[in-house]
Amino acid sequence: MPTFPPHGLIAEFSDKVVAHDLPELPPERRAEVVAFIGRRVAGLPSPMRIGVGVVSVVVGGAGRLVGTSRLVRGVTGRPLPGVGDYVRLVRSLSYAYVWDAWPDTAATGRPLGRQS
Amino acid sequence: MTAGALDAEVLVIGSGAGGAPTAAVLAEAGFDVLVLEEGPMVRQGDVVPFSLEQMDRQYRSGGVTAALGFPAIAYTEGCCAGGGTEVNSGLYRRPPENVLARWRRDHGLVDFDFDDLYAICDEIELELSVQTVPGELTAASDALRRGADRLGWANDEIPRWMIYPHGASATDGRRRSMTETYLPRATAAGGRLMTGYRVDRLVLDGRRATRALGRDPDGRAITVDFAHVVVCGGAIQTPALLQRSGLRRHVGTTLAVHPTVKLAARFAEEINVADDVAVHQVSEFAPDLSFGGSASGPGLAALALSDSWSRFGPAIEDWRRLTVYYAAISSEGRGTVRAVRGLRDPLVTYRLTRRDRAMLGRGLARLALLTLEAGATEVYPSYRGAPVVRRRADLATLQGTFALARASVMTVHLCSTVPIGEGPTAPTDSHGLVRGTSNVRVNDASLLPDAPGVNPQGSVMALAVRNARHFVDTIKRAS
Repeated sequence: MPTFPPHGLIAEFSDKVVAHDLPELPPERRAEVVAFIGRRVAGLPSPMRIGVGVVSVVVGGAGRLVGTSRLVRGVTGRPLPGVGDYVRLVRSLSYAYVWDAWPDTAATGRPLGRQS
Repeated sequence: MTAGALDAEVLVIGSGAGGAPTAAVLAEAGFDVLVLEEGPMVRQGDVVPFSLEQMDRQYRSGGVTAALGFPAIAYTEGCCAGGGTEVNSGLYRRPPENVLARWRRDHGLVDFDFDDLYAICDEIELELSVQTVPGELTAASDALRRGADRLGWANDEIPRWMIYPHGASATDGRRRSMTETYLPRATAAGGRLMTGYRVDRLVLDGRRATRALGRDPDGRAITVDFAHVVVCGGAIQTPALLQRSGLRRHVGTTLAVHPTVKLAARFAEEINVADDVAVHQVSEFAPDLSFGGSASGPGLAALALSDSWSRFGPAIEDWRRLTVYYAAISSEGRGTVRAVRGLRDPLVTYRLTRRDRAMLGRGLARLALLTLEAGATEVYPSYRGAPVVRRRADLATLQGTFALARASVMTVHLCSTVPIGEGPTAPTDSHGLVRGTSNVRVNDASLLPDAPGVNPQGSVMALAVRNARHFVDTIKRAS
């Protein structure tokens, strides 16, 4: 049964944003980050959750047409209303999580030597 | 189906800086007090301050909340026993006398004596052990002081509600938050505190509220019958609850905040303190504009760099030499809080004025100058397309490229959604009694007539104690 906001679309988009921004983040960490984003979106205040849900459907539809990876490359640097806020939300959550959980991580997502 | 039927002489909804002192004053005066708190009880020391775990456990919606607008303003609300006092920096300022004078004059406040309020401040400061930090300042605090001193800008250390063991350093304090002070006082006097209980709305019979409807921690319906109710859910939840209860007149239309913009500054030496904040504040341009330190753990430092990640991102690898500072303004803008039928949470909006936008841009440039003077080697302003500021000459580029629509704007100070006053548009009287009701009171940050231009929690607590005492006097006189 479809859910709203659509967890699958948000997870797919988040995964591609994180992979785009932090290409050297190990896959298991990326999965953890995407799961965290999903939890946070599910806990958003109702009006924000609805807004994110609507934008995620629009972005998901566009991703079906042009490919999600290509779409992410296209939208991450542009200040599009709504979509820009969605990207900023995903990006903020992912960066906050990565450096809170693994402080010694390179800007590309690569684990640095100071961590065990 | 109703799982639980509770009752109390006085129901206090919320246990933060407004609710906890209210509960203590009323319980100690002999009232049968029940405090319902929506969030959990989390003891200090159970979570690392300013961590994501703390946001998960003690903030509403994990700390991801925003007032919609252009741009949206991110804000946070504590949602736990003790409310915001459990999660904030514990920085304390008395309400300035000129602010009190403005409130009294512009809002026609009665029985609003400054000496009385400052006497209450004395009591609060004693109860909360308000004091400056022992020993040396943290490096991030000292950098603010150093930069301001070099520019000749007024600055000082903000006292905090903290206790420090003998011989402790600046970061060894323990918060004297509500779960350590007023809530234990309330329960010691016979008050009851129940956590995980949400109140959805009040039931009114004419001018009198008689019952609260809500949910227990397992989501089962509860009712609470009471003689009096004091709503202390904070500047967002309090107006939303009143509106859901049919009390909408002038409620939630005057949200005031201190909008802030941030930057990350990189120093030659290690400066980052992940679980604490700088206690110095620069007041040279107050009340219009002030500068201070933000929580700067690596996750939050990454967040401060995220708007221009492709250029700023590499700095995160040196996060121990990074710290985050803010520029906050007194805003002329206003926002709204609206309960929407069918939705659990209210819709929050905020509109910055043209003057606010200019002030934030100017503030960010001055803050960058301050950090350069403090010895920062690189400064990373939090907006898309920002330059790396390495010298004074770069400040012109900063000012030329700054646009608020591209900036991350946030606030932690929310107030004034149900302000006190005697004018025709004031939703409560001078002591927080909601107009059109005989027994519904508000006693939290919602009551402040406007944003005070300083950390507001001292003002909130002083008003809360004043109003709670007035309530005691009123009820005892009538009986």
